[in-house]
Amino acid sequence: MSSQNDKLLIDVGSTYFKVCVTSDAPERRQLEQHFRNFNQTILDDLMHKCGHTISAFAHDDVFICSSANGGLSTLIIGLTHTFSLKYATNIAFNSGINIIDTILYQDLDSATVPSDLIDVVIIAGGINSKGDAFADDLYEYLHNVNYSNIVYVGNELDAANAKAQLPELVILPNIIDDRLHIVEEDLKAYLTNLYQQDIMGKEDIKDLYQISSNQIFSTPYIVNQTLPLIDASYSVVNPFILLDIGGATTDIHYSKDLVEENIVTNNEFDRLVFKKLGVYKSRESLIFDAKNNEFVYELLMHLGVTENIFEEQSDKATRILMQLAIFLVLCKMSHYREAYINLKLTAVKSIVLTGGVTKVLKQDEVDDIIGFFFTKILTSKHRPVTIMDSDYSIWTLGSRIQDVNLREQ
Amino acid sequence: MKVVTGVIGNDIHVVANRLIDLSLKARGYEVFNLGVNTYLEEFFDAVIETDADILLISSLNGEAEGWGREVKALKAEYKGLDKLIMMIGGNLTVGAGKAEDIIPKYKSYGFDLVCHQIDLNTGLDMLADYIKEKSA
Repeated sequence: MSSQNDKLLIDVGSTYFKVCVTSDAPERRQLEQHFRNFNQTILDDLMHKCGHTISAFAHDDVFICSSANGGLSTLIIGLTHTFSLKYATNIAFNSGINIIDTILYQDLDSATVPSDLIDVVIIAGGINSKGDAFADDLYEYLHNVNYSNIVYVGNELDAANAKAQLPELVILPNIIDDRLHIVEEDLKAYLTNLYQQDIMGKEDIKDLYQISSNQIFSTPYIVNQTLPLIDASYSVVNPFILLDIGGATTDIHYSKDLVEENIVTNNEFDRLVFKKLGVYKSRESLIFDAKNNEFVYELLMHLGVTENIFEEQSDKATRILMQLAIFLVLCKMSHYREAYINLKLTAVKSIVLTGGVTKVLKQDEVDDIIGFFFTKILTSKHRPVTIMDSDYSIWTLGSRIQDVNLREQ
Repeated sequence: MKVVTGVIGNDIHVVANRLIDLSLKARGYEVFNLGVNTYLEEFFDAVIETDADILLISSLNGEAEGWGREVKALKAEYKGLDKLIMMIGGNLTVGAGKAEDIIPKYKSYGFDLVCHQIDLNTGLDMLADYIKEKSA
């Protein structure tokens, strides 16, 4: 039986789930990780593998987070790359959204209409004194898009016309203020709520309320909550980046000190996601990315393998793919490859790794790949300290913070 | 009228930038100051987002000479910038250079007004005259 202060924390990922008992008594603490059985519902799979542990806890003491719903698919239409599209993308990533496509409004006539259902369309652009930013072509385009939600966060002058054209449109305050700075709160709250509704609406996830009476949160949200307190678990020196490399996606949480961009926010940490960079569900796109990187063959040689490793299904192949994922994600964040945002990687003091990667790679294998990246790509002798969150302390801490927050409310 | 301004490239001359900002405001312009270290695309994007009438780029370390060559091609990628007044000022060359050589060069890059090593108020008078002339 669990004692009064014991809590059960469950994280349902796209590939694995983790079950953790936290307790004041060290002998009762435990952590299990299991590969998901996709032929069963999440609840059946959980009960089959960890039923004994789960049934020892009252529903009030079970805390669940999940990234298994895949996240919301988002289409952002904005006036410019530097302001409206970048600001809306930044807010969407920080709200836990993984799948983001953007269209520059002036290129709308050549943009293809997405064939899949879009969970949310975001329209952004212009300071409040700019009118007529959007014309009929926007609404004609949107009539052909299949979406569930649509939100307008552009200039005030166009809002009334937009609402007249699209009655289902939700209008929120402009995300660009009159100094061209970002205004995050309203859109962030809207998207975070949508994300929560999406998690709770998924049949598989809904079942989990049979074992917990607490709200199910998204995993990136939980991780982001933990970052300001990360030094409670590890000796992390700021500025740092946190890489969460999993089966389907790679999440990056980074200190804002590492960004040179013009986005001025109150957040200490921002998040971004590479949606098709994972070693299980996104294996094919990871390999595709790797084959298109000119340094990868040198890297494979450095690791003592050939490109035939891409065809293999073995533990060794998974290890190499994890190392490639670390390398590719650092490339994407550096000045070498222009991404949505570039980080000053030579200023990074610590790199924290969490997620599936910590179960696959050893510390020296991670250090080796990070060393290769800094030498080859950044031509630098700088070596940040790498920290492996092998026992999921970050997620555990985040879940406990959530527990405390819920009790205080 | 709305003006987007800032210092181009890897140039951190913040005092000059602040003086331009204050002087423009004193003359009644609505100013959107992008500050130092600004890239060309950010200038044009700010013009689009604000519906600015004037783009005033400054440079003190002479880096504008390199960036200037990109102006026409980049501006052509944007729709709706045909009426934008393009102005550049400061020290517009690396090393020594004569205004009579520098001004035509920048005009060929697409700038309407070029102020090489002249004082700020004179430059802003030139802008006022140019606006008056255009609207006449």
